Amino acid sequence: MDIKIAWRNIWRNPRRTIIIMTAVIIGIWSMIFLTAFMRGMVVDMIENGIATLTGDVKIYASGFRSDPALENRIRNPGPLAEKVQANLPADAHMAARIRVSAIAQNARHSAGVTLVGIDPAEEAGVSFIGDGVATGQMIRPGNPVDIVVGKALLEKFETKIGNKLILMSEDAAHEMASRAFRIRGIFSAELEATEKRFVFVSKSAARGMLQIGADVSEISVMLENHDRADAVAEKIAAAIDTEAYEVRTWKELKPMLKAYINIFDGYIILWYLVVFAAMVFGIINTTLMAVFERMREFGLLKALGMRPWRILRAVLIETAFILLIGAAAGNTLAFSMVYAIGQRGIDLSMFAAGFEYAGMSSVIRPEIFAGDVVLANAVVICLGLVVSAYPAARAARITPVEAMARN
Amino acid sequence: MKRIFAALAVLMCFAAAGHGRINDPDPRELVKGAVNYLRGKTSQAVVEMTIHRPDWQRQMTIKAWTEGRENSIFWIAAPPKDRGNGTLKRGDEMWIFNPKVNRVIKLPPSMMSQSWQGSDFSNNDLAKSDNIVDQYTHEIIDRQTHQGKTVYVIRSLPKPGAPVVWGMQELKIREDHILIRQAFFDEDQELVKALTMEKIEMLGGRLYPVKWKMQKADQKEEYTVLDYQSLEFGLDISDRIFTIASLKNPRL
Amino acid sequence: MGMDMKMAWRNVWRNPRRTWLTISAIGFACIILIFMLSFQFGSYGTMINSAIQINTGHLQIQAENYFAEKSMRQVVPEPGPVIRSASGIESVQAVTARANAFSLVSSDNRTGGAMIIGVDPESEAQVSTLETLVRRGEFLTEAEPASNPALIGRLMARNLQVGIGDELVVLGQGRDGSVAATALTVCGIYASGMDEFDRSTLHMPLDTFQEVYSMRGAVHEIVVKVSGLNHVAPVKRVLAKRLDQMPGGDSLTVLDWDELMPGLTQAIKLDLTIGVIFWALLVLVVAFSILNTFLMAVFERTREFGVMMAIGTRPGRLVWIMLYESTAMTLVGIGLGIAMGCMVTWIFQHIGIDLSGASEILQQYGISGRIYPQLSIITALAGPALVLIVTFAVSLYPALKIKSLKPVEAMMHV
Repeated sequence: MDIKIAWRNIWRNPRRTIIIMTAVIIGIWSMIFLTAFMRGMVVDMIENGIATLTGDVKIYASGFRSDPALENRIRNPGPLAEKVQANLPADAHMAARIRVSAIAQNARHSAGVTLVGIDPAEEAGVSFIGDGVATGQMIRPGNPVDIVVGKALLEKFETKIGNKLILMSEDAAHEMASRAFRIRGIFSAELEATEKRFVFVSKSAARGMLQIGADVSEISVMLENHDRADAVAEKIAAAIDTEAYEVRTWKELKPMLKAYINIFDGYIILWYLVVFAAMVFGIINTTLMAVFERMREFGLLKALGMRPWRILRAVLIETAFILLIGAAAGNTLAFSMVYAIGQRGIDLSMFAAGFEYAGMSSVIRPEIFAGDVVLANAVVICLGLVVSAYPAARAARITPVEAMARN
Repeated sequence: MKRIFAALAVLMCFAAAGHGRINDPDPRELVKGAVNYLRGKTSQAVVEMTIHRPDWQRQMTIKAWTEGRENSIFWIAAPPKDRGNGTLKRGDEMWIFNPKVNRVIKLPPSMMSQSWQGSDFSNNDLAKSDNIVDQYTHEIIDRQTHQGKTVYVIRSLPKPGAPVVWGMQELKIREDHILIRQAFFDEDQELVKALTMEKIEMLGGRLYPVKWKMQKADQKEEYTVLDYQSLEFGLDISDRIFTIASLKNPRL
Repeated sequence: MGMDMKMAWRNVWRNPRRTWLTISAIGFACIILIFMLSFQFGSYGTMINSAIQINTGHLQIQAENYFAEKSMRQVVPEPGPVIRSASGIESVQAVTARANAFSLVSSDNRTGGAMIIGVDPESEAQVSTLETLVRRGEFLTEAEPASNPALIGRLMARNLQVGIGDELVVLGQGRDGSVAATALTVCGIYASGMDEFDRSTLHMPLDTFQEVYSMRGAVHEIVVKVSGLNHVAPVKRVLAKRLDQMPGGDSLTVLDWDELMPGLTQAIKLDLTIGVIFWALLVLVVAFSILNTFLMAVFERTREFGVMMAIGTRPGRLVWIMLYESTAMTLVGIGLGIAMGCMVTWIFQHIGIDLSGASEILQQYGISGRIYPQLSIITALAGPALVLIVTFAVSLYPALKIKSLKPVEAMMHV
């Protein structure tokens, strides 16, 4: 009954209701959409960071992190890999790889690169290279000459698929090892730096060149949910010899990303409160107007014996309607915009150099986080009701005499 | 008369067989012979190196010892400022020595493609100059004449899997084993740089190219010239000279 | 006109509560915009200044193609007159010269490539923050040239496995192509927070550098520090003019920090663009919040307007009165907003805002943990100007509504 009356009341002055609803809609829409936009950037940074051969959890021999030299490799990785595998959740992926700094060279150019020996099948779901190549073919497991390089490196070296690339590095005995590879495919990455830095060959090719038997440099684990990295890392650490090996999560490997996320979470709450505050003035004002217009009515109701809390409730229900409808529309608008943009993303390549500087890609795909949506709606609706308690209380406090005295 | 006949027969054979002339020497042997001829079993030389740039030129004198295709050691004798700086090459590896800091440093892989002493020769050119013989397959594609002698034009293609950067090398080797020109091409068969022997004279008891010029393609004013001042072959050089300890004691 | 304004002003205060709420909304928007814009500009300033101070300086004088080719031979042959000329320009705070060479650096166990930078310890300390970045050991001194001191980055020290007092051998090529070699003793280790810088640079005294690399008195960069970012462009113009008049000056060029670090300005523009989108939306929310107040001011007084029109007031005049009213409220709101916004910003400008929780990412940009908002005419007025425009646009709608009122109907209105 109260609800029906409240519903009718808000449409007594439809223009006013629609205007204040518009404020709520824009507010909520901007909260959700812009947050999704920013989240898209952050998620992109994290995914990039993790997929660029970091992984959620990484295991390597003690000392490798401070001195990533070939000496500090995981020798005889079989038993270790088994133990790690045994402690992974079912949906996790694991890859062991060889990584060493090397010099790539052709007839005209030479540059320092990171040579990574991988098993392409293993990398699927673990690192960006597991997604395959942009042009040409992926390296074949066990093939001694296949190499996949980044697009930027290919351009810098003025070369093409099918051409030769010589790699040089120090092998396990500190002798210079050089080997010819043939470019089989080109990968493209979000960041040019990544494309210039990594070259991929098969594990056996890397092992043969470096004379390291069946050893690897690191084991990388990718989880479905990045938040579970800590728990999984603890479990793995408990199962292996932590004197000989180190277990690190992406948060430790990429502290900068973690810091960025922390700033960002704080920033979102601040932004929500600011937008909400901008709405508050309108909500209070509009509700006050609606209440004052109806003072006579409230006075009459009071005179007829209506309890103050019922008046309070009636006003709050009206505000709640406005907030809920506004929120619903704002959510719908934001969701449908994010959906419409979808995987295509928003291309901001005019700022490409700026994004590169910040370690992000210039195509932003907004991403909606349930937590943000709940928070945005909760802030608007709960705090909206709280502030409208003031006009509602004004209405409830009115005495019949006072009301009659008003014109 | 007989000789004329023989020559005619040979000519006809050439006409029939095109490039694959049956009477040609084995190209690999030619290349190997040329490299060995340049180096001798052992050699000792004094070379003047001139680095030429559009706005600047620099000269230095180098004393070098070589043993076969594997080992070499050289020191700078002049200018006085650089005197005593040495380079030791053993196989694929190189060490450098500087008398001022009295230290020997092994060149890391990252420095191997850098230029040697600012010249148009890279450290790799020096360290790996011998892999032309083993890492390539050779084919005679033409013959020319030079100072009345036959010159074989040899196209050398890297063997599959050979860790060499060039897509092709083209060598001109005279029938008396003297290398006339060595051109380096990328994989698209475009010229990158070329080494040309400009003067052939008697030196160290044999005819020898005494002036070498290394020039990058399309860079008229950028080249490096090696000018042999003296050269001796077949000296009895002790093995101990090609060691790090010896590198620290310049024989100047 | 004067009377209309007076009338409008009285009307504004007919319903003080509503008016105050509206003014607060406008004022609030102004405060937030002023503060946040100042904050953004402050962090850009910090970002640019840190990057400038660690590395590039505000302006550099180099040989024509040095920036693109980084060739050892492209030098400023006689730095003396250039330095004197630059120092003479007003608002130039300090000038120093540097020379760079890529060389091989080796310790007992390790060898690697590094950019060797020759700096003049005394003037370098005035131009860059290098001295303050030294974490262990001490900065270069000229007092003991015999010891051949070297200052290296934290990551280079780690990679070469050396500490204070250890010896390094540097081997490269001099300007004339000769062998450049010297032994240096690590005197200090710096951490700039920028990994690339900490990994790949080694600093040594310029005079030693010039001797080792046969520079014959030449340098590669003359680095100029001016008293503020806004002085960069004028100083650059003056410098370019002076270079033109100098013998041999036509082979030199002046580059500003923006040209020296191209990614930085774009990153800033990007951040600013995103910021502007956020604040524009905020202003829009505020506008809709206050639209009702303006509208109500019309509808409540429909009767009154009807009467006024009936006694011969032209609707156009009523529209103006309405606009005066809304503009009056807006101006009061903006005035208060600017005053409070500037005050709040000014306070934080002096105490700073601690972002230590995020120090690592900030370090990557060369920002220290504390950010100081930067209040300026632009940050103080840009936001309020936006608010003024949007609010005015919003107030047009109710004001123009008046024109469609018919006196008789309007008077019938309750």
